[in-house]
Amino acid sequence: MERAVTRKTFQTISHPGDSRRLAKEVVDHLAVYIADSDILHDLDIILTEACANVCRHAYGGEPGPLEVRLVVNPGIWIELEIVDWGRGFGSGVRFENPGPDAEGGRGLYIMRMLANDCQVKRRDRENVVFIHKDIGAALWKT
Amino acid sequence: MENLTIRREGGALLLKYTGEITLEMTTDLKRRLDAELGEGDVSTVIIDLSAVPFMDSSGIGFLVSVNTRMKSAGKSFYLYQLSPAVEKTLGLVQLIGFFTVLPDETALTGVCG
Repeated sequence: MERAVTRKTFQTISHPGDSRRLAKEVVDHLAVYIADSDILHDLDIILTEACANVCRHAYGGEPGPLEVRLVVNPGIWIELEIVDWGRGFGSGVRFENPGPDAEGGRGLYIMRMLANDCQVKRRDRENVVFIHKDIGAALWKT
Repeated sequence: MENLTIRREGGALLLKYTGEITLEMTTDLKRRLDAELGEGDVSTVIIDLSAVPFMDSSGIGFLVSVNTRMKSAGKSFYLYQLSPAVEKTLGLVQLIGFFTVLPDETALTGVCG
């Protein structure tokens, strides 16, 4: 397997079905590098939650541009940026697990649980969810 | 939704969905369940999750909303046969113990009786 750091960008418009398909497309690409199905499932959940957040909140419930930027450092880690150009997170950022009766608000908590680092940023006009996940050497394809 | 099967046994409504439960699906699932609940006296809802290979927090929200609706009406809500993916998602948000999960067919028959 190639050991150099690689980058790839994936784009769609944030309709619910297209957002889920984008997450799957990124996971399919990661499956070229990563052998462990449980890690791939973690990444699938992270991406699906982040893309669904864009779908629900970024453009006031309307569809808009959604981008995933992936960086793979083979054998060591992966990083993801899930990007939109909508209204931003404002004060709505909550990483805590809400009470059991809450019907929403668990997305960021789940992402944080499954990643080593999870940050929400505003960069120029971009709203970015940044994810870093260390992946043990034995879990990669050889 | 051809992936949804609905069975009635007495006052029990048993739903089984085959496929992913994500943001794309939950609105339709809610609509179908609302229609069923409006159609006669349902005392118990059971959702079979054995054929769900992926569920996100929208799916969790759906399950919580059904639970709240049934319990606040003094009725019963159960999950039946969690797939490994569903178990993992519910475990991440510490909700496995929040729901009542029927472990096997004997338990299912018990609540349908």
